[in-house]
Amino acid sequence: MQGTRADLEPSVRIRDLKKDRVNFVLENVDLAFANSVRRVMMADLPTVAIDLVEFKTNTTVLPDEFIAHRLGMIPLVSSNCDEGMRFTRDCTCLAACQYCSVQLKLDVACHNNTTMDITSNHLEVTPYVNEFSQMGEGEAGDEPSKRGEYFGHPVGKNDPDVPPVLICKIRKGQELRVRCIAKKGIAKEHAKWSPCSAVSFEYDPYNKLRHTSYWFETDSQTEWPLSDNALEEEKPRDDEVFDFNAQPRKFYLEVETDGSLGPQEVVMQGLAELQSKLAKIVLGLKKTEPDMAVGDSVDEAPPADAWGASGGGWGADGGAGAAPGWGNSSPSRTAAAGAWGGGGGGGGWTSPAQPAAAGWSV
Amino acid sequence: MDLPDEDGGWDRITGAGWHGLGLTDPIKSVEDKWLLLPAFLKVKGLVKQHIDSFNYFVETDIKNIVKANNKVTSDVDPRFWLKYTDINVGLPDRNEINPIERKLTPHECRLRDITYSAPISVTIQYTRGKNIVQRTVNIGRLPIMLRSSKCVLTGKNQAELARMTECPLDPGGYFVVRGTEKVILVQEQLSKNRIIVELDSVKGIVQASCTSSTHGGLKSKTYVTTKKGKIYLRHNSVHEDIPIVIALKALGIQSDKEILLLTAGNTESYKAAFSTNLEDAAKLGVFTRQQALEYIGTRVKVNRKVMGPRRPAWEEALEALATIVLAHVPINGLDFRPKAIFVATMTRRVLMAMEDEKMVDDRDYVGNKRLELAGQLLALLFEDLFKTYNANLKTAIDKVLKKQSRTNEFDAFNTMQFQGDHLTSGFARAISTGNWSLKRFRMERAGVTHVLSRLSFISALGMMTRISSQFEKTRKVSGPRALQPSQWGMLCPSDTPEGEACGLVKNLALMTHITTDVEEEPIIGLAFMLGVEDICLATGTEIYGPHTFVVNVNGTIIGLTRYPTRFVYQFRRLRRARRFSEFVSVYINHHHKAVHIASDGGRICRPMIIVENGRPRVTSEHIALLKKGAVTFDDFLRKGLVEYLDVNEENDTFIALYESDIVPATTHLEIEPFTLLGAVAGLIPYPHHNQSPRNTYQCAMGKQAIGAIGYNQLNRIDTLLYLSVYPQQPMVKTKTIELVGYDRLPAGQNATVAVMSYSGYDIEDALILNKASLDRGYGRCQVLRKNATLIRKYPNGTFDRLADAPTDENNPGQIAKKYDIIQLDGLAGVGERVDPGDVYINKQTPTNSTDNSFNGQAASVPYRNTPMTYKSPVAGNIDKVLISDTENDQTLIKVLIRQTRRPELGDKFSSRHGQKGVCGLIVNQEDMPFNDQGINPDTIMNPHGFPSRMTVGKMIELLAGKAGVLSGNLQYGTAFGGSKVEDMSRILVEHGFSYAGKDMLTSGITGEHLEAYVYFGPIYYQVCNCSVINSVSGFKHMVMDKMHARARGPRATLTRQPTEGRSREGGLRLGEMERDCLIGYGATQLLLERLMISSDKFEVNACSKCGLMGYNGWCTYCKSSKQMAQLTIPYAAKLLFQELMAMNVVPRLVLDDA
Repeated sequence: MQGTRADLEPSVRIRDLKKDRVNFVLENVDLAFANSVRRVMMADLPTVAIDLVEFKTNTTVLPDEFIAHRLGMIPLVSSNCDEGMRFTRDCTCLAACQYCSVQLKLDVACHNNTTMDITSNHLEVTPYVNEFSQMGEGEAGDEPSKRGEYFGHPVGKNDPDVPPVLICKIRKGQELRVRCIAKKGIAKEHAKWSPCSAVSFEYDPYNKLRHTSYWFETDSQTEWPLSDNALEEEKPRDDEVFDFNAQPRKFYLEVETDGSLGPQEVVMQGLAELQSKLAKIVLGLKKTEPDMAVGDSVDEAPPADAWGASGGGWGADGGAGAAPGWGNSSPSRTAAAGAWGGGGGGGGWTSPAQPAAAGWSV
Repeated sequence: MDLPDEDGGWDRITGAGWHGLGLTDPIKSVEDKWLLLPAFLKVKGLVKQHIDSFNYFVETDIKNIVKANNKVTSDVDPRFWLKYTDINVGLPDRNEINPIERKLTPHECRLRDITYSAPISVTIQYTRGKNIVQRTVNIGRLPIMLRSSKCVLTGKNQAELARMTECPLDPGGYFVVRGTEKVILVQEQLSKNRIIVELDSVKGIVQASCTSSTHGGLKSKTYVTTKKGKIYLRHNSVHEDIPIVIALKALGIQSDKEILLLTAGNTESYKAAFSTNLEDAAKLGVFTRQQALEYIGTRVKVNRKVMGPRRPAWEEALEALATIVLAHVPINGLDFRPKAIFVATMTRRVLMAMEDEKMVDDRDYVGNKRLELAGQLLALLFEDLFKTYNANLKTAIDKVLKKQSRTNEFDAFNTMQFQGDHLTSGFARAISTGNWSLKRFRMERAGVTHVLSRLSFISALGMMTRISSQFEKTRKVSGPRALQPSQWGMLCPSDTPEGEACGLVKNLALMTHITTDVEEEPIIGLAFMLGVEDICLATGTEIYGPHTFVVNVNGTIIGLTRYPTRFVYQFRRLRRARRFSEFVSVYINHHHKAVHIASDGGRICRPMIIVENGRPRVTSEHIALLKKGAVTFDDFLRKGLVEYLDVNEENDTFIALYESDIVPATTHLEIEPFTLLGAVAGLIPYPHHNQSPRNTYQCAMGKQAIGAIGYNQLNRIDTLLYLSVYPQQPMVKTKTIELVGYDRLPAGQNATVAVMSYSGYDIEDALILNKASLDRGYGRCQVLRKNATLIRKYPNGTFDRLADAPTDENNPGQIAKKYDIIQLDGLAGVGERVDPGDVYINKQTPTNSTDNSFNGQAASVPYRNTPMTYKSPVAGNIDKVLISDTENDQTLIKVLIRQTRRPELGDKFSSRHGQKGVCGLIVNQEDMPFNDQGINPDTIMNPHGFPSRMTVGKMIELLAGKAGVLSGNLQYGTAFGGSKVEDMSRILVEHGFSYAGKDMLTSGITGEHLEAYVYFGPIYYQVCNCSVINSVSGFKHMVMDKMHARARGPRATLTRQPTEGRSREGGLRLGEMERDCLIGYGATQLLLERLMISSDKFEVNACSKCGLMGYNGWCTYCKSSKQMAQLTIPYAAKLLFQELMAMNVVPRLVLDDA
């Protein structure tokens, strides 16, 4: 475990794999690397989520923004989202088209005397039919063919084992008719695009590295419960000498997803994303002409992470990477920034009389 | 009950006993006795004081007032009379000609800007010709208090309330006047008809004062005071102070011996102190009653307007003494003895205080205070209005009767019909402005009513329990502001504002009740039956005899008793048997050797469990019945298990806080200790662990929190309404929270908090927020703003109109951008987005609406646009549009515009422990620290907030909240109780957490474990609205509103100096201190420039010979132009010289070559 094994190959051992979670041990990697994987899985994986909502009728008790926000939080199946969809900002269409979005419709009215739940099961994915004449379709591509069968559907739709997400409760005479446009995005922009619900991350359960100092009243060993991961490592002897050169090599991660992506996909995509990010840095360092760097990166990378925008170098990484942290109200956000009132760059409000305009940002 | 002692003989008889229990078995404690509290609140409600008071006014007091003023006669026709035989207040109804539905709900009044009022109908008997007629007639409308006995909401269940769009949790107790909700705050006053002795140690004056107040009578204050060692009676109606002996002689006690006995009794020191007064009277030559009356009579202020024969002085004195001085003490014909004894008692109290400084009364003692409520204030208002009404009616009747010949018989009923709405408008005006100016009662009070604050449910509730004091806020005395020990259980010790009104504005505790008047005659009768001897039969010897106690009823001395303890015991027995009202209090004052019985209104009292023989009378069986719902709180009262104690009676009792504290002498047991806090302070979890000012801060802040307002919040159209999008009930509740309904109308969210430092953007109480939490809806709120307009009809026949959107002038066929949401009816569509500058009501007004000569076709008049445009810099949405009409048939349009806001940098958050902080940084989720389960905090709080604030309650809240989250239930943080830290730690350990509530966190940035362990768990956080108001108006605009600069501009006419203030485009003042700096620096030229050249430079001609100012090179004084010189001075200086000259002062300029 100490320095001698540092040159060993990195390895992954999956301890548990369920439909919505994977528990694995990552060995022989650097702490920075392990944490990068965690961060990328949480914040940088593209998924699909409802981003624009166009209200035709809303006679429920909840205001439009409220429902739009709730719709946005519903996880949609987005496996292979990376290839199956474009970012709207990269698409040549005017607002949204079949290559960069999925259209969902919700049309529920209550005719009974009992309270009725509008849930995510009522959301129907509807293919675009005539909308393109107004919106302008983007350049043709093969994205739709790479999508899975249920791409863009609410997670767990029509699966009796998965309770649906409640959107609103209505009573007799109330109605909700909306058209939603789901877009591809990453969690840096809005948390609704995060495929993970929680990522647990631990190393060194016995605190051999002394990264932390236990707070205790009499005895730290009895007062602090050990985590389950302690079973994986051998208990240090009381007389063991502190090795101040030791590095953490073994990381215990559990990735729990919200269902939009499978756990394997999250991990694999996360690694791939990390790889491509590193590749871009490498590429950016090699390039001598700044113009080319910009031209190259636009295709794949989201502008938020504008790698190499300033002619390569580390400065770009730090600067651009930090930006989203502050930028929930930054005007540079493209399209509708996730939060209501954040940005306001998105489409306009739609009334039944003007179906052409864009809808609410969620 | 005898307690078994060490004697072994007891053990043998402990084997069998009652219910299988032995004598030595521990007495079973009354479990869940706190259930009496919900039972109490169920019967009385949270704002029982207001409602009881209003009910008393509407059902009893109003009838008394009418009875006291029940006759209207005519000066013209002596045969005419009109008598009110009865008065009734109906149920609120629609004040329209022929309504389809008469019933009126409060919510309709709120929406339509009308008054929630009910007709007042009187039954009258009057003479019509030679007959006597009886009729019923409406004389006006009375605003009705919500949830009072006259309100339509009373006794309705939740479904019925929902049908009336009313929130079942709304406590009521306020009025709806012209669409606004108005509360009449509880007013605190010094008690009436009681003697208060005070000592002014600076002036060496002892003074006993008594404010007399009787029903329908005038209020007047009588003093018995010392002046240079002598005692005087002082009253407003007498020019100068009357020596006390003369006053007593005038009251019918002629013998000096008797006077001495009644005042000083047999106490030698008092006699010595008093003797000088007797000499004084003798010196003034006053020996008999007649002489005393003559003496006073010449000094009485006569303010009678009625012309009549001048009465002799002694008659004036007699009248004054009978009716004005100490008006509350009853007299029988010309027998003034009770009044004389009252004055003698006041004198004795002065003598006592002269000898012993400790014998003074405490003005701030809660027992010496009375609270005036809505009912009493309305009663005063009604009396005033009713008297004016009758006076007006009388003049109107006189006017008709004066005419000799009439076509038909005179019917006073018709005259009454044309009396206008004097009462209706009087009530509405007083309640909506808050000005109680009743000339008749010399009452001039402003700010009696307040708009009910609907910032949150708690702010509305907190307003209903508020007590405002009559003391001046500027006075620098700490006494009235200090916490009084007698406040215990009656007034909340925490809930008071900071700053100016600190300690003067108080709040009622949870179980406080305020009494209403109870008739005193039966009680006096009862006292006599219990062996009290009539005071009129007693002389000074008996009154101040060694074992005699004086019996007072509401401050008036009625008699004597020699067995005070037995008397009080029997009196209480009768009260517990409900032979008279439970709110009558009785207690013994041993210092004054007096028994006091009080039945007056406005006393503060609270219920307590009676303890007899060392056992509480409430047993577990009773509580079991209560749980079953078989009995109510009133049954407990009726059975004598529980009784109300007022502050004075509390002094006579020995109250155990807990059952285990009961000792043989104990008389009462507290129902529940946490009821000593009010409704607002009751929301704080573990307040008994906090530093006390923190609880006070929280009481102020809890009212600003944004949350749910009522179940009908989405049907309301308020001027400004703040709603939380996802309010949560707190993880750590208190019993108060459940009782007031805060768990159903919460204002806050359970945020996962990590107590650690992060990034440096969290200094000075700033908070770090998780961006993902904000994305997911944390702290999100809605702001709804009302915009209303009237579509008027003008007197000349023209009217306003709504118009559809006009086409764009530059772009024919297209609708201008700012009109794009206007629909065909001229109003914006519901749900449309309103951008800044958009028109949402396209109103047009006729250009000649004020032209009264116009009488053409109303349709053909020219119109101009008077649209309502959206001003806020942030776009909103149309939430609701209401079209209705007001009481005077003007069309009313209300448009509700909604904005949804998510928290941003600078927004204010607060926990429930007076710890507020602003958001200093919003951090991405992946950068946030997390625990080994991958849980990120929603908020990071800097630990420096703890040491100096000492809010240990907050730390326990976190621990209890964390335990609750892990075990899946809610924990309690009730004051003086709640979940125990030990139990909470056990739950944490069971779930694999540290018992201390600390977690090992990993940095989201580096992935390393944090070196320190972090206190981590849920704390209930509230979003405060202050900064929301700022951000709604928009930061940019705030700067625009404030920035100001000036180069040249307007000047004031008089001084020719630049004007002041931004609004007048004024100059920027170089003030005195700035001037000092420049002088100190020696910047003379700069000084000259700022203070003269660029301000009020003025060229003046002055004569160097005489030093006076001339003009045009000519000195008018010297009649020469030889020695004239020109110089520059400030115009203000020139002005000063001229003003001095106008006052005959000659300022001469001594000129020198420069």
